[in-house]
Amino acid sequence: MTRAEIRDLIIEIIKDIDDEAQFDDVSPDEPLRDQLDLDSMDFLDIVMELRKRHKLQIPEEDYPQLATLNSCVNYLEPLLHNA
Amino acid sequence: MGAPHIVIGGGLSGLAAAIRLARFGEPVVIIEQHNRLGGLNSYYTRNGRLYETGLHAISNFAPRKQRHAPLNKLLKQLQLSRDDLSICEQLRSEIHFPGTEPLLFSNDFSLLRDTIDDVFPHALAGFDRLVQRLDHHDPFAPAPFTATREILSSFLNDQQLIEMLLCPLLFYGSSWQDDIDFNQFTILFRAIYQDGFFRPAGTIKDLLDLLTETLIERGATIITGTGVEHLRVVDDRVESVILENGEELDCNIVISTIGSDETRRLAGKNIDKTDIVRLSFFESIFTVDSTGKTAVSKDATCIFFCRQNRLRYRKPNTPVDLKSGVISLPDNFSGREAGTMRDVRITHLANYQQWFDARAASASSYDDLKAAYARKSARVAEAYVGSFFEAITYQDSFTPLTVQRYTGKIEGAVYGSPNKHTDGACGFANMFLAGTDQGYLGIIGAMLSGVLMVNRHILPKLAK
Repeated sequence: MTRAEIRDLIIEIIKDIDDEAQFDDVSPDEPLRDQLDLDSMDFLDIVMELRKRHKLQIPEEDYPQLATLNSCVNYLEPLLHNA
Repeated sequence: MGAPHIVIGGGLSGLAAAIRLARFGEPVVIIEQHNRLGGLNSYYTRNGRLYETGLHAISNFAPRKQRHAPLNKLLKQLQLSRDDLSICEQLRSEIHFPGTEPLLFSNDFSLLRDTIDDVFPHALAGFDRLVQRLDHHDPFAPAPFTATREILSSFLNDQQLIEMLLCPLLFYGSSWQDDIDFNQFTILFRAIYQDGFFRPAGTIKDLLDLLTETLIERGATIITGTGVEHLRVVDDRVESVILENGEELDCNIVISTIGSDETRRLAGKNIDKTDIVRLSFFESIFTVDSTGKTAVSKDATCIFFCRQNRLRYRKPNTPVDLKSGVISLPDNFSGREAGTMRDVRITHLANYQQWFDARAASASSYDDLKAAYARKSARVAEAYVGSFFEAITYQDSFTPLTVQRYTGKIEGAVYGSPNKHTDGACGFANMFLAGTDQGYLGIIGAMLSGVLMVNRHILPKLAK
Protein backbone atom coordinates (compact mmCIF):
# COMPACT_ATOMS: atom_id res chain seq x y z
CA MET A 1 0.00 0.00 0.00
CA THR A 2 1.16 3.50 -0.73
CA ARG A 3 1.10 6.17 1.94
CA ALA A 4 -1.93 7.75 0.28
CA GLU A 5 -3.76 4.43 0.28
CA ILE A 6 -2.99 3.87 3.96
CA ARG A 7 -4.26 7.34 4.72
CA ASP A 8 -7.50 6.60 2.85
CA LEU A 9 -7.82 3.30 4.69
CA ILE A 10 -7.62 5.04 8.06
CA ILE A 11 -10.18 7.63 7.00
CA GLU A 12 -12.50 4.91 5.71
CA ILE A 13 -12.23 2.97 8.98
CA ILE A 14 -12.92 6.04 11.11
CA LYS A 15 -15.92 6.95 8.94
CA ASP A 16 -17.25 3.43 9.44
CA ILE A 17 -16.93 3.86 13.19
CA ASP A 18 -18.40 7.34 13.22
CA ASP A 19 -20.44 8.39 10.21
CA GLU A 20 -20.40 12.00 11.37
CA ALA A 21 -16.60 12.29 11.28
CA GLN A 22 -15.52 15.25 9.09
CA PHE A 23 -12.04 15.03 7.61
CA ASP A 24 -12.07 18.29 5.60
CA ASP A 25 -10.30 20.30 8.27
CA VAL A 26 -8.29 17.54 9.88
CA SER A 27 -4.66 18.46 10.28
CA PRO A 28 -2.44 15.38 9.68
CA ASP A 29 -0.08 16.17 12.56
CA GLU A 30 -2.63 17.05 15.23
CA PRO A 31 -4.15 14.32 17.44
CA LEU A 32 -7.20 12.66 15.86
CA ARG A 33 -8.65 12.28 19.36
CA ASP A 34 -9.14 16.04 19.78
CA GLN A 35 -10.02 16.89 16.19
CA LEU A 36 -12.63 14.17 15.73
CA ASP A 37 -13.74 13.85 19.34
CA LEU A 38 -12.64 10.20 19.53
CA ASP A 39 -12.06 8.28 22.73
CA SER A 40 -10.16 5.13 23.71
CA MET A 41 -13.10 2.93 22.70
CA ASP A 42 -12.93 4.40 19.20
CA PHE A 43 -9.19 3.74 18.98
CA LEU A 44 -9.78 0.12 19.98
CA ASP A 45 -12.25 -0.07 17.08
CA ILE A 46 -9.60 1.25 14.67
CA VAL A 47 -7.13 -1.39 15.85
CA MET A 48 -9.73 -4.14 15.57
CA GLU A 49 -10.78 -3.08 12.08
CA LEU A 50 -7.13 -3.16 10.96
CA ARG A 51 -6.85 -6.65 12.37
CA LYS A 52 -10.06 -7.76 10.66
CA ARG A 53 -9.22 -6.25 7.28
CA HIS A 54 -5.47 -6.76 7.06
CA LYS A 55 -4.65 -9.37 9.71
CA LEU A 56 -2.56 -6.78 11.52
CA GLN A 57 -1.64 -7.41 15.11
CA ILE A 58 -1.07 -4.14 16.93
CA PRO A 59 0.09 -4.59 20.53
CA GLU A 60 -1.48 -2.34 23.17
CA GLU A 61 1.80 -0.54 23.81
CA ASP A 62 1.80 0.66 20.18
CA TYR A 63 -1.66 2.30 20.35
CA PRO A 64 -0.12 5.76 21.01
CA GLN A 65 1.53 5.55 17.58
CA LEU A 66 -1.94 5.86 16.04
CA ALA A 67 -2.45 9.32 17.54
CA THR A 68 -2.35 11.43 14.35
CA LEU A 69 -3.12 10.71 10.72
CA ASN A 70 0.58 10.98 9.80
CA SER A 71 1.76 8.85 12.71
CA CYS A 72 -0.77 6.19 11.66
CA VAL A 73 0.67 6.18 8.14
CA ASN A 74 4.26 6.07 9.45
CA TYR A 75 3.48 3.19 11.76
CA LEU A 76 1.44 1.18 9.25
CA GLU A 77 3.61 1.74 6.16
CA PRO A 78 6.14 -1.05 6.89
CA LEU A 79 3.36 -3.36 8.09
CA LEU A 80 1.27 -2.90 4.95
CA HIS A 81 3.95 -2.62 2.28
CA ASN A 82 2.94 -5.98 0.78
CA ALA A 83 -0.78 -5.39 1.15
CA MET B 1 -10.32 -21.09 13.15
CA GLY B 2 -9.82 -21.85 16.86
CA ALA B 3 -12.41 -22.52 19.52
CA PRO B 4 -15.13 -19.88 19.82
CA HIS B 5 -15.59 -17.42 22.64
CA ILE B 6 -18.57 -18.42 24.73
CA VAL B 7 -21.06 -16.06 26.30
CA ILE B 8 -23.12 -17.62 29.08
CA GLY B 9 -26.53 -15.99 29.37
CA GLY B 10 -28.71 -14.46 26.64
CA GLY B 11 -29.79 -11.40 28.61
CA LEU B 12 -28.96 -7.90 27.43
CA SER B 13 -25.36 -7.89 28.70
CA GLY B 14 -24.65 -11.24 27.04
CA LEU B 15 -26.27 -10.19 23.76
CA ALA B 16 -24.21 -6.99 23.70
CA ALA B 17 -20.98 -8.89 24.46
CA ALA B 18 -21.68 -11.38 21.68
CA ILE B 19 -22.56 -8.66 19.14
CA ARG B 20 -19.36 -6.82 19.98
CA LEU B 21 -17.27 -9.96 19.40
CA ALA B 22 -19.08 -10.91 16.21
CA ARG B 23 -18.57 -7.41 14.84
CA PHE B 24 -14.87 -8.15 14.44
CA GLY B 25 -15.40 -11.56 12.95
CA GLU B 26 -14.64 -13.46 16.15
CA PRO B 27 -16.36 -16.83 16.40
CA VAL B 28 -18.82 -16.62 19.27
CA VAL B 29 -21.48 -18.85 20.78
CA ILE B 30 -24.11 -17.44 23.12
CA ILE B 31 -25.97 -19.83 25.40
CA GLU B 32 -29.38 -19.12 26.94
CA GLN B 33 -31.05 -21.73 29.13
CA HIS B 34 -34.55 -20.62 28.16
CA ASN B 35 -36.20 -20.83 24.79
CA ARG B 36 -36.39 -17.08 24.61
CA LEU B 37 -33.60 -14.52 24.91
CA GLY B 38 -33.72 -11.47 27.15
CA GLY B 39 -33.02 -12.75 30.67
CA LEU B 40 -34.51 -10.29 33.14
CA ASN B 41 -35.92 -8.27 30.25
CA SER B 42 -37.98 -10.66 28.22
CA TYR B 43 -41.66 -11.15 27.43
CA TYR B 44 -44.51 -13.63 27.22
CA THR B 45 -47.94 -13.62 25.61
CA ARG B 46 -51.35 -14.15 27.20
CA ASN B 47 -54.70 -13.75 25.49
CA GLY B 48 -52.99 -12.49 22.35
CA ARG B 49 -51.33 -9.68 24.26
CA LEU B 50 -47.58 -9.34 24.78
CA TYR B 51 -46.44 -8.77 28.36
CA GLU B 52 -42.95 -7.54 29.13
CA THR B 53 -41.08 -8.92 32.10
CA GLY B 54 -38.65 -6.67 33.92
CA LEU B 55 -38.81 -3.54 31.81
CA HIS B 56 -40.36 -0.49 33.49
CA ALA B 57 -38.38 2.25 31.83
CA ILE B 58 -34.88 2.41 30.39
CA SER B 59 -32.67 4.94 32.16
CA ASN B 60 -29.73 6.82 30.56
CA PHE B 61 -31.82 8.69 28.00
CA ALA B 62 -29.63 11.01 25.91
CA PRO B 63 -30.34 13.23 22.94
CA ARG B 64 -28.63 12.26 19.70
CA LYS B 65 -26.11 15.10 19.86
CA GLN B 66 -24.55 13.99 23.16
CA ARG B 67 -21.96 11.81 21.46
CA HIS B 68 -20.31 10.48 24.60
CA ALA B 69 -23.48 9.72 26.53
CA PRO B 70 -23.75 6.02 27.47
CA LEU B 71 -26.70 5.39 25.15
CA ASN B 72 -24.98 6.82 22.05
CA LYS B 73 -21.65 5.27 22.97
CA LEU B 74 -23.29 1.88 23.25
CA LEU B 75 -25.01 2.15 19.87
CA LYS B 76 -21.73 3.14 18.25
CA GLN B 77 -19.82 0.27 19.83
CA LEU B 78 -22.43 -2.20 18.61
CA GLN B 79 -22.82 -0.43 15.24
CA LEU B 80 -26.56 -0.16 15.72
CA SER B 81 -28.64 2.69 14.40
CA ARG B 82 -30.40 4.89 16.92
CA ASP B 83 -33.37 5.10 14.56
CA ASP B 84 -33.94 1.36 14.96
CA LEU B 85 -34.75 1.89 18.64
CA SER B 86 -37.77 4.16 18.03
CA ILE B 87 -37.24 5.96 21.31
CA CYS B 88 -40.20 7.26 23.32
CA GLU B 89 -39.34 9.54 26.24
CA GLN B 90 -41.10 9.47 29.60
CA LEU B 91 -43.81 12.03 30.36
CA ARG B 92 -42.75 12.59 33.96
CA SER B 93 -42.20 10.56 37.10
CA GLU B 94 -43.20 11.13 40.70
CA ILE B 95 -41.87 10.43 44.19
CA HIS B 96 -44.51 10.27 46.93
CA PHE B 97 -43.84 10.30 50.68
CA PRO B 98 -46.35 10.97 53.46
CA GLY B 99 -47.12 14.52 54.60
CA THR B 100 -45.39 16.31 51.76
CA GLU B 101 -46.03 17.25 48.16
CA PRO B 102 -44.57 14.79 45.62
CA LEU B 103 -41.27 15.47 43.88
CA LEU B 104 -41.46 15.34 40.09
CA PHE B 105 -38.74 14.58 37.56
CA SER B 106 -38.54 14.16 33.81
CA ASN B 107 -35.87 14.10 31.13
CA ASP B 108 -35.48 17.82 31.76
CA PHE B 109 -33.44 18.01 34.98
CA SER B 110 -34.84 21.43 35.85
CA LEU B 111 -38.21 19.86 36.74
CA LEU B 112 -36.65 18.05 39.70
CA ARG B 113 -34.82 21.17 40.80
CA ASP B 114 -37.97 23.29 40.50
CA THR B 115 -40.08 20.92 42.58
CA ILE B 116 -37.35 20.77 45.23
CA ASP B 117 -37.46 24.55 45.24
CA ASP B 118 -41.23 24.37 45.81
CA VAL B 119 -41.33 21.58 48.38
CA PHE B 120 -37.97 21.97 50.17
CA PRO B 121 -36.88 25.58 49.45
CA HIS B 122 -34.51 25.55 52.45
CA ALA B 123 -32.59 22.62 50.91
CA LEU B 124 -32.18 23.96 47.37
CA ALA B 125 -28.74 25.50 47.86
CA GLY B 126 -27.48 22.23 49.34
CA PHE B 127 -29.02 20.29 46.46
CA ASP B 128 -27.19 22.49 43.95
CA ARG B 129 -23.91 21.87 45.78
CA LEU B 130 -24.60 18.14 45.76
CA VAL B 131 -25.17 18.18 41.99
CA GLN B 132 -21.90 20.08 41.55
CA ARG B 133 -20.08 17.51 43.64
CA LEU B 134 -21.60 14.67 41.59
CA ASP B 135 -20.69 16.37 38.32
CA HIS B 136 -17.05 16.38 39.40
CA HIS B 137 -17.02 12.86 40.79
CA ASP B 138 -15.60 10.02 38.67
CA PRO B 139 -17.75 7.03 39.68
CA PHE B 140 -15.64 4.60 37.64
CA ALA B 141 -12.45 5.19 39.61
CA PRO B 142 -11.92 2.20 41.91
CA ALA B 143 -12.83 3.04 45.51
CA PRO B 144 -13.85 1.14 48.66
CA PHE B 145 -17.55 1.13 49.59
CA THR B 146 -18.51 4.64 50.65
CA ALA B 147 -21.89 5.10 52.33
CA THR B 148 -24.09 7.57 50.46
CA ARG B 149 -26.49 8.55 53.25
CA GLU B 150 -23.67 10.12 55.24
CA ILE B 151 -22.53 12.19 52.26
CA LEU B 152 -26.10 13.26 51.48
CA SER B 153 -26.57 14.45 55.07
CA SER B 154 -23.61 16.79 54.65
CA PHE B 155 -25.32 18.49 51.68
CA LEU B 156 -29.04 18.24 52.40
CA ASN B 157 -30.48 19.64 55.64
CA ASP B 158 -33.75 17.76 55.28
CA GLN B 159 -34.03 14.04 56.02
CA GLN B 160 -37.29 13.73 54.09
CA LEU B 161 -35.65 15.03 50.92
CA ILE B 162 -32.78 12.54 51.34
CA GLU B 163 -35.26 9.66 51.65
CA MET B 164 -37.23 10.85 48.65
CA LEU B 165 -34.19 11.27 46.41
CA LEU B 166 -32.86 7.84 47.38
CA CYS B 167 -36.14 6.02 46.76
CA PRO B 168 -36.05 5.73 42.92
CA LEU B 169 -32.30 5.10 42.86
CA LEU B 170 -32.49 2.24 45.34
CA PHE B 171 -35.51 0.64 43.69
CA TYR B 172 -33.97 0.89 40.23
CA GLY B 173 -30.54 -0.38 40.99
CA SER B 174 -29.40 -1.15 44.50
CA SER B 175 -28.38 -4.62 45.57
CA TRP B 176 -27.46 -3.18 49.00
CA GLN B 177 -29.90 -2.79 51.84
CA ASP B 178 -30.87 0.74 52.92
CA ASP B 179 -27.75 2.47 51.65
CA ILE B 180 -25.82 2.47 48.43
CA ASP B 181 -22.19 2.87 47.45
CA PHE B 182 -21.44 6.47 46.50
CA ASN B 183 -20.05 5.49 43.10
CA GLN B 184 -23.21 3.53 42.33
CA PHE B 185 -25.29 6.44 43.63
CA THR B 186 -23.50 8.83 41.28
CA ILE B 187 -24.06 6.56 38.30
CA LEU B 188 -27.74 6.09 39.14
CA PHE B 189 -28.29 9.80 39.88
CA ARG B 190 -27.03 10.59 36.38
CA ALA B 191 -28.85 7.73 34.71
CA ILE B 192 -32.22 8.45 36.33
CA TYR B 193 -32.40 12.15 37.29
CA GLN B 194 -29.94 13.86 34.93
CA ASP B 195 -30.52 11.64 31.87
CA GLY B 196 -34.00 10.22 32.43
CA PHE B 197 -36.25 7.47 31.12
CA PHE B 198 -37.29 6.19 27.72
CA ARG B 199 -38.55 2.98 26.19
CA PRO B 200 -39.07 1.51 22.72
CA ALA B 201 -42.29 2.58 20.98
CA GLY B 202 -43.21 -1.07 20.61
CA THR B 203 -42.08 -3.66 23.11
CA ILE B 204 -38.87 -5.17 24.46
CA LYS B 205 -39.37 -7.85 21.80
CA ASP B 206 -38.42 -5.29 19.12
CA LEU B 207 -35.08 -4.64 20.83
CA LEU B 208 -34.44 -8.36 21.37
CA ASP B 209 -35.33 -9.11 17.73
CA LEU B 210 -32.96 -6.37 16.55
CA LEU B 211 -30.11 -7.76 18.65
CA THR B 212 -30.83 -11.33 17.54
CA GLU B 213 -30.88 -10.38 13.85
CA THR B 214 -27.63 -8.48 14.28
CA LEU B 215 -26.01 -11.51 15.89
CA ILE B 216 -27.16 -13.84 13.12
CA GLU B 217 -26.04 -11.41 10.40
CA ARG B 218 -22.60 -11.28 11.97
CA GLY B 219 -22.30 -15.03 12.09
CA ALA B 220 -22.71 -15.73 15.81
CA THR B 221 -24.20 -19.01 17.01
CA ILE B 222 -27.18 -18.74 19.34
CA ILE B 223 -28.09 -21.73 21.50
CA THR B 224 -31.38 -21.53 23.38
CA GLY B 225 -33.36 -23.98 25.42
CA THR B 226 -30.39 -25.60 27.12
CA GLY B 227 -28.32 -24.14 29.92
CA VAL B 228 -24.75 -24.76 30.97
CA GLU B 229 -24.55 -27.89 33.10
CA HIS B 230 -20.99 -27.31 34.24
CA LEU B 231 -17.65 -25.89 33.25
CA ARG B 232 -14.67 -28.21 32.86
CA VAL B 233 -11.85 -26.43 34.65
CA VAL B 234 -8.17 -27.35 34.66
CA ASP B 235 -6.13 -25.26 37.08
CA ASP B 236 -7.58 -21.78 36.58
CA ARG B 237 -8.66 -22.27 32.97
CA VAL B 238 -12.07 -23.14 31.63
CA GLU B 239 -11.29 -25.85 29.07
CA SER B 240 -14.81 -26.55 27.88
CA VAL B 241 -18.46 -25.83 28.54
CA ILE B 242 -20.80 -28.78 29.03
CA LEU B 243 -24.44 -28.10 28.22
CA GLU B 244 -27.50 -29.61 29.88
CA ASN B 245 -28.21 -31.49 26.66
CA GLY B 246 -24.85 -33.24 27.01
CA GLU B 247 -23.04 -31.34 24.29
CA GLU B 248 -19.48 -30.24 25.10
CA LEU B 249 -18.14 -27.02 23.59
CA ASP B 250 -14.47 -26.12 23.50
CA CYS B 251 -13.94 -22.50 24.37
CA ASN B 252 -11.49 -19.68 23.97
CA ILE B 253 -12.55 -16.94 26.38
CA VAL B 254 -15.79 -17.15 28.39
CA ILE B 255 -17.94 -14.18 29.37
CA SER B 256 -20.41 -15.17 32.06
CA THR B 257 -23.40 -12.94 32.71
CA ILE B 258 -25.24 -15.21 35.12
CA GLY B 259 -23.78 -13.81 38.34
CA SER B 260 -20.59 -14.37 40.25
CA ASP B 261 -21.68 -17.11 42.66
CA GLU B 262 -23.84 -18.68 39.96
CA THR B 263 -20.72 -18.88 37.75
CA ARG B 264 -18.51 -20.29 40.48
CA ARG B 265 -21.12 -22.99 41.11
CA LEU B 266 -20.93 -24.09 37.48
CA ALA B 267 -17.17 -24.35 37.85
CA GLY B 268 -17.59 -26.58 40.90
CA LYS B 269 -16.30 -23.96 43.33
CA ASN B 270 -17.70 -23.39 46.77
CA ILE B 271 -19.66 -20.25 47.48
CA ASP B 272 -18.24 -18.82 50.68
CA LYS B 273 -20.51 -15.98 51.70
CA THR B 274 -23.91 -17.55 52.13
CA ASP B 275 -24.86 -14.94 54.73
CA ILE B 276 -25.12 -12.07 52.25
CA VAL B 277 -28.59 -10.61 51.83
CA ARG B 278 -29.97 -10.72 48.31
CA LEU B 279 -32.86 -8.39 47.57
CA SER B 280 -35.76 -9.58 45.55
CA PHE B 281 -39.11 -8.23 44.45
CA PHE B 282 -42.76 -9.07 44.00
CA GLU B 283 -44.35 -7.60 40.91
CA SER B 284 -47.92 -7.62 39.67
CA ILE B 285 -49.21 -6.62 36.26
CA PHE B 286 -52.79 -5.50 35.90
CA THR B 287 -54.47 -4.92 32.57
CA VAL B 288 -57.23 -2.40 33.03
CA ASP B 289 -60.17 -1.62 30.77
CA SER B 290 -59.96 2.15 30.66
CA THR B 291 -63.32 2.68 28.95
CA GLY B 292 -65.18 2.24 32.23
CA LYS B 293 -65.11 4.26 35.42
CA THR B 294 -61.39 4.19 35.98
CA ALA B 295 -59.00 7.03 36.50
CA VAL B 296 -55.54 5.61 35.89
CA SER B 297 -53.07 8.48 35.61
CA LYS B 298 -52.28 9.56 32.06
CA ASP B 299 -49.44 11.84 33.16
CA ALA B 300 -47.06 9.76 35.23
CA THR B 301 -44.59 7.28 33.78
CA CYS B 302 -43.17 5.87 37.02
CA ILE B 303 -44.42 6.53 40.52
CA PHE B 304 -42.12 5.76 43.44
CA PHE B 305 -43.82 5.73 46.80
CA CYS B 306 -43.17 5.16 50.45
CA ARG B 307 -45.93 5.12 53.06
CA GLN B 308 -43.64 5.92 55.99
CA ASN B 309 -41.25 8.82 56.49
CA ARG B 310 -38.13 6.73 56.44
CA LEU B 311 -37.59 4.43 53.48
CA ARG B 312 -36.86 0.85 54.53
CA TYR B 313 -35.17 -0.61 51.48
CA ARG B 314 -34.35 -4.01 52.88
CA LYS B 315 -35.52 -7.60 52.87
CA PRO B 316 -38.89 -7.55 54.66
CA ASN B 317 -40.02 -9.97 57.37
CA THR B 318 -43.24 -10.53 55.44
CA PRO B 319 -43.61 -12.07 51.96
CA VAL B 320 -44.08 -8.58 50.48
CA ASP B 321 -43.35 -5.12 51.88
CA LEU B 322 -46.37 -3.02 50.91
CA LYS B 323 -44.99 0.09 52.62
CA SER B 324 -43.05 1.14 49.57
CA GLY B 325 -42.84 0.36 45.90
CA VAL B 326 -42.76 1.47 42.28
CA ILE B 327 -45.69 1.76 39.93
CA SER B 328 -44.90 1.63 36.24
CA LEU B 329 -47.37 2.89 33.64
CA PRO B 330 -45.88 1.74 30.32
CA ASP B 331 -48.52 3.53 28.26
CA ASN B 332 -47.44 6.92 29.59
CA PHE B 333 -44.49 7.62 27.32
CA SER B 334 -44.50 10.36 24.75
CA GLY B 335 -45.46 9.02 21.34
CA ARG B 336 -46.95 5.77 22.65
CA GLU B 337 -50.59 5.27 21.92
CA ALA B 338 -52.55 3.68 24.70
CA GLY B 339 -55.44 1.54 23.56
CA THR B 340 -58.52 1.00 25.67
CA MET B 341 -56.52 -1.54 27.67
CA ARG B 342 -53.86 -0.01 29.90
CA ASP B 343 -51.26 -1.77 31.99
CA VAL B 344 -50.37 -0.97 35.58
CA ARG B 345 -47.31 -2.71 37.03
CA ILE B 346 -46.49 -2.56 40.72
CA THR B 347 -43.26 -3.70 42.34
CA HIS B 348 -42.44 -4.18 46.03
CA LEU B 349 -39.56 -5.65 47.98
CA ALA B 350 -40.15 -9.29 48.87
CA ASN B 351 -38.80 -12.08 51.02
CA TYR B 352 -37.58 -15.07 49.00
CA GLN B 353 -37.65 -17.55 51.89
CA GLN B 354 -41.28 -16.88 52.73
CA TRP B 355 -42.33 -17.50 49.15
CA PHE B 356 -40.15 -20.60 49.09
CA ASP B 357 -41.83 -21.90 52.25
CA ALA B 358 -45.32 -21.17 50.89
CA ARG B 359 -44.50 -23.11 47.75
CA ALA B 360 -43.03 -25.98 49.78
CA ALA B 361 -46.24 -26.16 51.83
CA SER B 362 -48.51 -26.52 48.79
CA ALA B 363 -49.14 -25.13 45.33
CA SER B 364 -52.46 -23.71 46.47
CA SER B 365 -51.04 -21.87 49.49
CA TYR B 366 -48.48 -20.26 47.17
CA ASP B 367 -51.16 -19.29 44.65
CA ASP B 368 -53.42 -17.94 47.40
CA LEU B 369 -50.59 -15.86 48.83
CA LYS B 370 -49.85 -14.48 45.37
CA ALA B 371 -53.48 -13.54 44.77
CA ALA B 372 -53.82 -11.96 48.21
CA TYR B 373 -50.72 -9.79 47.80
CA ALA B 374 -51.65 -8.80 44.25
CA ARG B 375 -55.00 -7.57 45.59
CA LYS B 376 -53.40 -5.66 48.46
CA SER B 377 -50.78 -4.20 46.12
CA ALA B 378 -53.44 -2.92 43.73
CA ARG B 379 -55.33 -1.28 46.60
CA VAL B 380 -52.15 0.43 47.81
CA ALA B 381 -51.34 1.67 44.31
CA GLU B 382 -54.79 3.17 43.74
CA ALA B 383 -53.91 5.96 46.17
CA TYR B 384 -51.23 7.09 43.70
CA VAL B 385 -52.52 6.22 40.21
CA GLY B 386 -56.27 6.50 40.64
CA SER B 387 -58.84 3.74 41.03
CA PHE B 388 -58.67 0.75 38.69
CA PHE B 389 -59.44 -2.30 40.81
CA GLU B 390 -62.97 -2.79 39.44
CA ALA B 391 -61.75 -2.58 35.84
CA ILE B 392 -59.01 -5.22 35.98
CA THR B 393 -59.39 -7.65 33.07
CA TYR B 394 -56.18 -9.64 33.53
CA GLN B 395 -53.57 -9.94 36.22
CA ASP B 396 -50.39 -11.84 36.86
CA SER B 397 -47.72 -11.72 39.56
CA PHE B 398 -44.06 -12.65 39.74
CA THR B 399 -42.53 -13.73 43.03
CA PRO B 400 -38.83 -14.14 43.83
CA LEU B 401 -39.31 -17.80 42.87
CA THR B 402 -40.58 -16.81 39.43
CA VAL B 403 -37.54 -14.60 38.90
CA GLN B 404 -35.20 -17.35 40.07
CA ARG B 405 -36.81 -19.87 37.76
CA TYR B 406 -36.62 -17.69 34.66
CA THR B 407 -33.33 -15.89 35.22
CA GLY B 408 -31.30 -18.30 37.34
CA LYS B 409 -30.48 -15.48 39.78
CA ILE B 410 -29.96 -16.93 43.26
CA GLU B 411 -33.03 -16.10 45.39
CA GLY B 412 -34.43 -14.18 42.43
CA ALA B 413 -32.17 -11.22 43.23
CA VAL B 414 -32.63 -9.05 40.15
CA TYR B 415 -29.72 -6.74 41.00
CA GLY B 416 -27.53 -9.69 41.92
CA SER B 417 -25.12 -9.98 44.78
CA PRO B 418 -24.23 -6.87 46.80
CA ASN B 419 -20.59 -7.73 46.08
CA LYS B 420 -19.67 -6.40 42.65
CA HIS B 421 -16.63 -7.22 40.50
CA THR B 422 -16.14 -4.05 38.50
CA ASP B 423 -13.04 -5.39 36.72
CA GLY B 424 -14.93 -8.51 35.65
CA ALA B 425 -12.38 -10.82 37.26
CA CYS B 426 -13.82 -13.95 38.87
CA GLY B 427 -10.76 -16.07 39.56
CA PHE B 428 -10.24 -17.72 36.16
CA ALA B 429 -7.59 -16.98 33.55
CA ASN B 430 -10.02 -17.08 30.63
CA MET B 431 -13.42 -16.29 32.14
CA PHE B 432 -14.81 -12.87 33.04
CA LEU B 433 -18.06 -11.53 34.43
CA ALA B 434 -20.38 -9.08 32.71
CA GLY B 435 -23.85 -7.88 33.57
CA THR B 436 -25.47 -7.68 36.96
CA ASP B 437 -22.58 -8.76 39.17
CA GLN B 438 -20.01 -6.74 37.24
CA GLY B 439 -21.89 -3.76 38.58
CA TYR B 440 -23.37 -1.70 35.73
CA LEU B 441 -27.12 -1.75 36.07
CA GLY B 442 -30.13 -0.95 33.98
CA ILE B 443 -30.58 -1.99 30.37
CA ILE B 444 -28.03 0.45 28.95
CA GLY B 445 -25.63 -0.24 31.84
CA ALA B 446 -25.93 -4.00 31.41
CA MET B 447 -25.27 -3.76 27.68
CA LEU B 448 -22.31 -1.44 28.21
CA SER B 449 -21.00 -3.92 30.74
CA GLY B 450 -20.99 -6.63 28.06
CA VAL B 451 -19.21 -4.29 25.63
CA LEU B 452 -16.63 -3.05 28.13
CA MET B 453 -15.69 -6.50 29.39
CA VAL B 454 -15.12 -7.67 25.80
CA ASN B 455 -13.10 -4.51 25.09
CA ARG B 456 -11.03 -5.04 28.17
CA HIS B 457 -10.48 -8.77 28.39
CA ILE B 458 -10.78 -10.13 24.87
CA LEU B 459 -10.18 -7.70 22.01
CA PRO B 460 -6.73 -6.35 22.97
CA LYS B 461 -5.46 -9.91 23.53
CA LEU B 462 -6.51 -11.46 20.26
CA ALA B 463 -3.80 -13.06 18.21
CA LYS B 464 -3.54 -12.47 14.46
